[in-house]
Amino acid sequence: MTGTGGLRVEGAVKVFFTGTPNEVRALDGLSLDMRPGDFVTIIGSNGAGKSTLLNAVAGTFPIDHGEIWLDDKELTQRPEHLRAQSIGRVFQDPRAGTAPSLSIEENLCLAMLRGKRRGLARGLSASRRASVKGQLSQLGMGLEERPRSAVAKLSGGQRQALSLLMATITRPQLLLLDEHTAALDPKVAATIMDLTTQIVTRERLTTLMVTHNMELALSRGNRLMMMHAGRVILDVAGADKSSLTVPELVRKFHEVAGETLASDRMLLE
Amino acid sequence: MEGILAIGFEQGLLYSFLVLGVFFTFRVLDFPDLTVDGSLVLGAGATAILVTNGVSVFLATGVGVIAGACAGVVTGLIHILLKSGSSDTNYGPKLIAGILTTTALYSINLRVMGRSNVPLLHEKSMFDHIGDLISVNMTRWSLVLGLLVIALLVKLVLDWFLHTELGLAMQALGDNEQMIRSLGVNTNRVRILGLAIANGLVALTGGLVAQQQGYADIGMGFGALVAGLGGVIIGEVVFGMRSIRWVLFSVMAGSIVYRILVAVGLRIDWIRPTDLKLLTAVLVLIALATPTIRSRVVRS
Repeated sequence: MTGTGGLRVEGAVKVFFTGTPNEVRALDGLSLDMRPGDFVTIIGSNGAGKSTLLNAVAGTFPIDHGEIWLDDKELTQRPEHLRAQSIGRVFQDPRAGTAPSLSIEENLCLAMLRGKRRGLARGLSASRRASVKGQLSQLGMGLEERPRSAVAKLSGGQRQALSLLMATITRPQLLLLDEHTAALDPKVAATIMDLTTQIVTRERLTTLMVTHNMELALSRGNRLMMMHAGRVILDVAGADKSSLTVPELVRKFHEVAGETLASDRMLLE
Repeated sequence: MEGILAIGFEQGLLYSFLVLGVFFTFRVLDFPDLTVDGSLVLGAGATAILVTNGVSVFLATGVGVIAGACAGVVTGLIHILLKSGSSDTNYGPKLIAGILTTTALYSINLRVMGRSNVPLLHEKSMFDHIGDLISVNMTRWSLVLGLLVIALLVKLVLDWFLHTELGLAMQALGDNEQMIRSLGVNTNRVRILGLAIANGLVALTGGLVAQQQGYADIGMGFGALVAGLGGVIIGEVVFGMRSIRWVLFSVMAGSIVYRILVAVGLRIDWIRPTDLKLLTAVLVLIALATPTIRSRVVRS
């Protein structure tokens, strides 16, 4: 219960394409309460509103109703770049989290300045350069050997590892992971996932991880939430979560949602 | 031939600030900014009208640059108004913002100048003053030398700026806007600053060209953007894009090559001086299409 990063969402509503035949209630009065240090995995079928939830918390768009709080700060009306001072984020697309034409060290330098005033001081000062090298070597990918390479030359896995480091280097109050291993091949995905667990545990980051993969959702984190039709329909933590299995999870889904599973993809994984 | 080279270097360096401005918007900010045609005239007009009213030519040039920067700020503000809800890679609002500012600038420039042409026949240019100061007669080549010094100074300042904390954020903005926003950068503010710098550079070309040719004219900005783009593309293709420092040099050299090509073109008997814009458009088209055509030829 110590530390920071308590996220509270209350009655969040987000409707897309309001007033058109395509109207979607992506968030339908969603509420959740995360304690500082919680590592929550979120599963749900396509269209359940998982990514909308992360975008709403990060401030990509304003929500129509409801409130979002991080510790004692209300975020609801805050623009995205101000929320980013305390929220780190890794996207599904490895290209989304890095600037391709800048070098590895320049990207990390940008991330080290998260939430700080960016002035006319030299970006890559000697001290930042040294610190960047140390951080890179912790990834175990050999990136510390070539900090001046353009990020565009890195593989998807390397770019995602870098994105993860960039999202966590300032130890943000909240880390949002949006299916961040889904676009990688299985072996690389496993590496990135291990790295994620390692960093989240070491830095004791409050983390919200969206995934399509039930196994992953069960094996990682201390708490699991299932989303359906814009709400959290299942919330298990601690011992209840560790004893849960994939078939049970599917059964629970039917129980609570009261309909057949919307996505085959979720079953297959 | 020597005449062509001298003209090429002189014009190329005069317009190198325009080329840097166009590079800044198109490449660094990923913002195809059409304000350029208007801000060039604003720089020229403001400088000319101040000089004819007895203001020091150095101060007048500086005010011209600031006026150009303000035009860039206006474009940035209009863009914020128009872009809401559209994705970062939607160029529509960016193009419209520049078009609106340029159109408005046509009237504003006429207000600033008071008439469509402000002659500077009996006024000394910045370079004449510098020449007097160091007792050198300003021939074309000594003008080139003076311009070269200024251009290199501007390039060094840009090199420095682009590697500051703020400059790195600006580079990242054009590279991946979503990412730099998620790192806590107010992208609207950084973009406006970038547009101000770019249009300030463009206005510097305007002010210097007015002094060198002896007048500011309401029509002198027409096609400036395309000409600037010509310098950028020729520079990138001919001299390469190894690093941001190198590419700044490349586009400035590209500006010179471009002006030499124009000077050569104008020497051809059947080309009239009024064909310049056609020539410009064709040159830029060739430069733009070369990579596409080359890759098609290689593939087939």
